[in-house]
Amino acid sequence: MSIEPMKMFFKEIKEPIETTMIGNYAVAGAVTQTDPDVICAFPITPQTQSVEGLSDVVNQGRLKAAFVNVESELAAISYSTAASAAGARAFTATASQGYLLMTEALPMAVGWRLPLTMMISARAFNSPNLSIWNTWEYTEVNSELGWNIIVSENVQETYDAAILSVMIADESLFPTIFVHDGFIISHSVQKLTLIPDEIVLRMTPKKPRHTIDPSKPGTWGGIVTPDYFMEGRARLEEAKKPVLNQMTEAFKKFKSETGREYNLIETYNLDNSSKTAFCTMGSMAGNIISWMYKNKDVGLIKIRAYRPFPYEELRRIVEEHGIEKLILLEKSDSLNGMLPPFSMSVATALYPLKTIFRSFIVGLGGRDVTRDEFDVAKKKMESVNDMKGKLYSYLGVRESKQKIYGT
Amino acid sequence: MLTPEQLKEILKENVINLRFHARGGQGGVTASNLCVEAFYGFGVCQPKFGAERMGSPTESYVRLSAHDELVRSNEQVYAPHAVAVLDPSLLGEIDVTAGLVPGGWLIVNTTLDQISLQTIVGRKDINIATIDALGIAMEILGRNITNTIILGALIRVIPIFSMDALANAIMRRFKGSIAAKNVEAIKRAHEETCIYETKGAPQLDFTVDTKIPWQQVSPGLPGFKEIDDAGVWYCDEQVIEMGSGQVNTGSWGEYDIIWDEEKCTDCGMCWYICPDFAIVREKGDDGLWHMTGIDSYHCKSCQNCLEICPVDAISKKLKQGPAACAVPEE
Repeated sequence: MSIEPMKMFFKEIKEPIETTMIGNYAVAGAVTQTDPDVICAFPITPQTQSVEGLSDVVNQGRLKAAFVNVESELAAISYSTAASAAGARAFTATASQGYLLMTEALPMAVGWRLPLTMMISARAFNSPNLSIWNTWEYTEVNSELGWNIIVSENVQETYDAAILSVMIADESLFPTIFVHDGFIISHSVQKLTLIPDEIVLRMTPKKPRHTIDPSKPGTWGGIVTPDYFMEGRARLEEAKKPVLNQMTEAFKKFKSETGREYNLIETYNLDNSSKTAFCTMGSMAGNIISWMYKNKDVGLIKIRAYRPFPYEELRRIVEEHGIEKLILLEKSDSLNGMLPPFSMSVATALYPLKTIFRSFIVGLGGRDVTRDEFDVAKKKMESVNDMKGKLYSYLGVRESKQKIYGT
Repeated sequence: MLTPEQLKEILKENVINLRFHARGGQGGVTASNLCVEAFYGFGVCQPKFGAERMGSPTESYVRLSAHDELVRSNEQVYAPHAVAVLDPSLLGEIDVTAGLVPGGWLIVNTTLDQISLQTIVGRKDINIATIDALGIAMEILGRNITNTIILGALIRVIPIFSMDALANAIMRRFKGSIAAKNVEAIKRAHEETCIYETKGAPQLDFTVDTKIPWQQVSPGLPGFKEIDDAGVWYCDEQVIEMGSGQVNTGSWGEYDIIWDEEKCTDCGMCWYICPDFAIVREKGDDGLWHMTGIDSYHCKSCQNCLEICPVDAISKKLKQGPAACAVPEE
């Protein structure tokens, strides 16, 4: 190859370097810098280059990690879980159907308090048709299993999230997923600034809680009777309580080392004239920010921490800025469920405030989300003054050859 | 034409959008990547998302601005201010000027003159620049790789970044002698670009947005009330207007595949191995299938048939015309 995408990471990065990279390779680079011991994943579009990039740095001898080829995603998560339980720093990555295949092993990593990290390049589930493009599939399943989930908007954020996830997972001892939108971020070339290796290693010191010690044998995940199971769950609930604070602490530490500021929830232009704000996650937030350059009468609430969901923080923000109406945009649906999953989380958080909202399902299966959607959603919201009727609708979908639904 | 200083002033409050048309393997994405790398401000480059195959038409987009909020969007580019076409064989196949803002630039790797190009694309409100990138590539690089060279022509008509910035970006991305040769080729391209400013074409206005409302939703295709409710695409119905049968995979390949009727024994091995059903055969009066030819609209010259034919009835011939072949990056 005349172009080696991972070349930057073949040697030590000594100072902040501004470069351009696609999301997946940026993640591979960041993971390299956190010095994992075990990398085990199964390729699936659009996640593939992240693991491919890591195989390259391992092959170059830059990273002294076990790069393990397995036959499926279930094997990948099982192997990573076991490696993590043995005290290794492990990384895996997946998307869509691969995430579904992992499902069987996902609860164990939570229950065993394993600081495992996983990247998801969000891609639609195959229903009714196969799609390799972006949908927020990670909100549709497995989100209540107890994995931490943080969502990134662009390449810089997903690079940083790979490092932040290790910090958060190590501190909370809960496995952590970081998500970027498949293709839109995983395959887009954007500018980013790399963090020097020394700083990354300082932020992510290895402090394994778990070890394998033959002199102290034990059983992981052995059966318990009803006398014990519920106590085990309540114990996890207790352990999960400080996670949002730990995330905030990790963000603070990250800011002091790199200057880049992250929060559980980020806000833009909330003190606007219409007291209305969009609320969304991921790459779509960038689209809205560009659109807001000429639409200064609405604001934006961008959720970064999806699990645990920062409901108190969201309430505080909405209350403090006097937001009266929210326009929820999400790339997932629930087929006549009460609300699609992201909106369900936001609605539950805001229940005591009685904030008026409507949810719009956009951009499924990689459909572009543009100013058209934002214009229409904003306009529709102007005439909404109560919570009567259906609370969600599709936007940007063809009803017939002649008609676009809802316009 | 805008001067670098004027453009710099414009990009403080505006975005410039570029679109690259190439074939899979020609390095269109690398070209757009280099734009982001060479630009002093903020930039994003996106391929048209999908599965790229060698030789298939590809698109990639670039969005550049000195204002970070303006390029934060992850939308695809609908209203390019300049379009670069790396492979002239795409001109008849793709509407390369779709959405091109009036007063914008179409930059083509070709030896055709601008009048012929204007006739092909049918637009009188845009400016045209041509560059014989193939000629330069063969002379300096010794290979048909035009992706970097076209950037020399691009910054000649729209000086978004300097030649030095571009050369630096290339030196960072490519290895030793390849990098130096590419820089040399780009400098040649910069000098040899033929520029044709169309009389009466409007001044390029960066506030004009040519995106058609709901373009991303592809109006005109069947809607959700008109498609099968189990996602099934039945082969005997004409619902699928964008099915693979419509795709001119025949334009992807380097070779024409030639069938020799005299030698053919109708054994059918090529018919079984062809991945694109490009072997045409008919049932004769004797009740047997007889080969009648090759469907050149779908044959992408994978040459499986050529390999498997037991009697050498199939041969290949390099396609005519400039730069019709896709060259893999090595």
